[in-house]
Amino acid sequence: MALNRKIAYINLTTGEVKIKPIPLEVRKKFLGGRGLDAYLLYNNTKKGCDPLGPENALMISGGILTATCASATARTHVMAKSPLTGLLGSANMGGFFAPEMAWAGFHHLVITGKAEKPVYLFLHDGEIEIKDAANIWGKTTTDSQWAIQKELGDEEVKSCVIGPAGENLVAFASVMTGVKNAAGRTGMGAVMGSKNLKAVAARGTMDIKIAHPVEAFENNKKFIDQITSAKVNQTQGSLGTPFIWGATNSWGGLRTHNFQYNQLENADDIEPERIDEIATETIGPYHMAGCFGCQVHCRAQYRIPSGPYAGKYDEGPEYTSLGAFGAEIGCRSAETLLTGNHLVDQFGMDNLETGSLISWAMELYEKGIITDKQTDGLELTFGNDEAALEMVRRIAYRKGFVADALASGGIPATEKFGKESFDYLVQVKGMSNLHSDERATPALALNIATASRGSDHLRSRPAIDLYHLPEKVLRKIYGSPIPYDGPINSEQTSYEGKSWMVFWQENVYMGVDCLGICKYHTTFLGATLPNFEDWPKVIYYNTGLEFTPEELWTITERCNMLERLFNLREGLERNDPVKGDVLNHRYHDEPCRRGAPDVIGLYIDKDKFDTMVDELYQYKGLDKNGRPTKKTLKRLGLEDEPSHLV
Amino acid sequence: MSKVLQINHEKCTGCRLCELVCAVRHDGISNPVRSRIRVIKWEMEGVYIPMACQQCKDAPCLHGCPVSAITQNYQTGCVEVNPDICIGCRTCVSVCPFGGMSFNSIDQKVIKCDLCDGDPQCVRFCEVQALEFVEAADVSITKKREAAQRLYTADKQAAALKTKAA
Amino acid sequence: MAIKGGKQSTAESLRKTRTFGKIRCHNPSCMERIAPEPGSDHAKCPTCGMEYRLFWVNDNLPRIRGPVWDVNRELAERTFAEKQAAAAAKKTNKGGK
Repeated sequence: MALNRKIAYINLTTGEVKIKPIPLEVRKKFLGGRGLDAYLLYNNTKKGCDPLGPENALMISGGILTATCASATARTHVMAKSPLTGLLGSANMGGFFAPEMAWAGFHHLVITGKAEKPVYLFLHDGEIEIKDAANIWGKTTTDSQWAIQKELGDEEVKSCVIGPAGENLVAFASVMTGVKNAAGRTGMGAVMGSKNLKAVAARGTMDIKIAHPVEAFENNKKFIDQITSAKVNQTQGSLGTPFIWGATNSWGGLRTHNFQYNQLENADDIEPERIDEIATETIGPYHMAGCFGCQVHCRAQYRIPSGPYAGKYDEGPEYTSLGAFGAEIGCRSAETLLTGNHLVDQFGMDNLETGSLISWAMELYEKGIITDKQTDGLELTFGNDEAALEMVRRIAYRKGFVADALASGGIPATEKFGKESFDYLVQVKGMSNLHSDERATPALALNIATASRGSDHLRSRPAIDLYHLPEKVLRKIYGSPIPYDGPINSEQTSYEGKSWMVFWQENVYMGVDCLGICKYHTTFLGATLPNFEDWPKVIYYNTGLEFTPEELWTITERCNMLERLFNLREGLERNDPVKGDVLNHRYHDEPCRRGAPDVIGLYIDKDKFDTMVDELYQYKGLDKNGRPTKKTLKRLGLEDEPSHLV
Repeated sequence: MSKVLQINHEKCTGCRLCELVCAVRHDGISNPVRSRIRVIKWEMEGVYIPMACQQCKDAPCLHGCPVSAITQNYQTGCVEVNPDICIGCRTCVSVCPFGGMSFNSIDQKVIKCDLCDGDPQCVRFCEVQALEFVEAADVSITKKREAAQRLYTADKQAAALKTKAA
Repeated sequence: MAIKGGKQSTAESLRKTRTFGKIRCHNPSCMERIAPEPGSDHAKCPTCGMEYRLFWVNDNLPRIRGPVWDVNRELAERTFAEKQAAAAAKKTNKGGK
């Protein structure tokens, strides 16, 4: 049974391992995955704890459906207090780790303390061992995984690991599994590094009994058909996530040169179609790979076509890498893009944060805020491919003044670069934004400003707002499972009804993260993909637990509120420029200069934006300052947190 | 004519959905140990190869079985294990040149592909058609056609080059 | 029981609204549906004048690869100048009152 997967508390200081069942009552309140992790984080950390100290708790988990007969239950979730933001740290990755962990008998790990010397955990068939990692420390992310397989003498072992960046406590180091699957955001790799925890390895042969196997089986087939027949997933299965580039760069929704422009012109060499050609040339016509149980297969394989790393195998690049090593730093070379992607994968650091911070440093350099002396003579100008790649290497090993400052994260770096530098840092809650420019899309702007882990597109982005869907269709989607008859607007440039869309998406994304499935299997990039109404069957057939769509909605609201409670406890204030639900001033002060005619001249109206935030707070049951009312906490059953139910 | 499971490994995306559906279809349980098909991977090459029973005509497992628990179904071409006779000695596992015979360590018995009684579910779920269920006679002619296509393309390119040179 | 069979969910019922063979102009308030010639590599929006380069995912699924750069640049610069001028004019008018 999926429901008899265990939770393990591991204290690396004492070496103590406690394994417990997860009570049904807890499952019914938080399901699993990100939702339950949020509960565990709130319960197992104290206010103001040092993110890189032994008192921080690191959660690694699968969702309630992980490795069951449902589609794409591949996601591994990692949570802790973030060293990058000082608020909620949370990242999610595909691959094969979470299913292996489930077959090894575990759904949730809570890791505290700090090992005396480098170690890794080995989970196998209900047992957990803490093993010496002296021979693996210092290795790249992929080498570490193969070294663990070799040491354990079993090639079926799956691990999630950190690379040199995590070991060097780079504030945006990622946790990785496979060649490129990364839990990249908010620096979860640095938390592992601070605990001297190099890896968590898993190997399992334990049964996961399906509650209603025949129904689960046929339902899964239907589900997969629904998912693979969507245009968006067919495109994704051919070009991977970079497919987003074509539309976004056409209308001017890309953040380039830090935030100076909103389109990268004449960048044909890094268009997804070009990357696809390179993958075909270097791998062959079938170069798409999939995560566990997923038929979307959006992960491209490639070899670097030229340059000093020519011939190196890697996977991706994701859309985020097109931003990090293209749009943001003003580079237009496939070689740079594919090399940069390879370097961050090998070092284990968030491509998005890396590219964004380098582009910030480039603007500071061009404006004279960072000097030649500080860069050790490196010409940190936009479009300087070599300098960008050199910065990636320097950041991973914290070499030189600028790279070392950036490796601490944007906000701490402003203290080293001077107050003026803060104005140019495009961040929310201390985390850099995706290379998307939200000035023409108020819904998306509200999303990044209020996302629980800082500026982020995977927490509440109503991406289908860009499709100009008829009002009737929007009402159908956003009016279920909770009726909604407020304003709604098909125009992406409108402010009307967008706060409800953001609220709704926030709950949907929490839902998929609790289930442990991928966001490409829900209402994210495609309007015809499954959500609340479709999930009760999948959950029931696989686990036997019964929920109505409305009940699932409430669970996701509850879990989102827990994330909010954590952030409030750690210092979130509505209008705080560093820890608040606000945007960089450039969103309000500088109009778009590029893109489609209707986008030109647009910016985010501050008053209308504040109204949207007010509305969103209302939907979430928060007061004007963004704090939950007593009534809300009571409704969600959260008045006694921390309640230590497990 | 009997049909065979044809594996086109270059199309495989490595998602292991075949393993999942095989285990759930046969045992109602998700566990790769229970799957009759397994995807073998070279992660740093991006190569994934699904491996399953080839339903050999002159099957080593059948000949090696000391209690004659393994028989060939001449109608379907399927090599079958009778679990009531099987003593779990794993001779078949050791003699199979493909690893097609699996050993389920939980129930302590050997398991192998039974083509799901003529409707292999791995094939049904494999959207990229890395797994196909085809007439045995068609396998060879399909391969011939693909090889011929490559020759034809090369020929055309060579002709184009010649024209250019002239 | 909470698990209803038979009834279609919103996602399932919207499936039939999927359209193939067409693209939509990426100018946000235009969003004109354009049906390009099968296999063609360019398309021009008849309504707003944006011009796109195309890529075909499969025979039924065209997508916009990117804009035609010189057309795009010219449109952008002209629009930006117009909007700046309009905004400036609005400001002067206000000041006069």
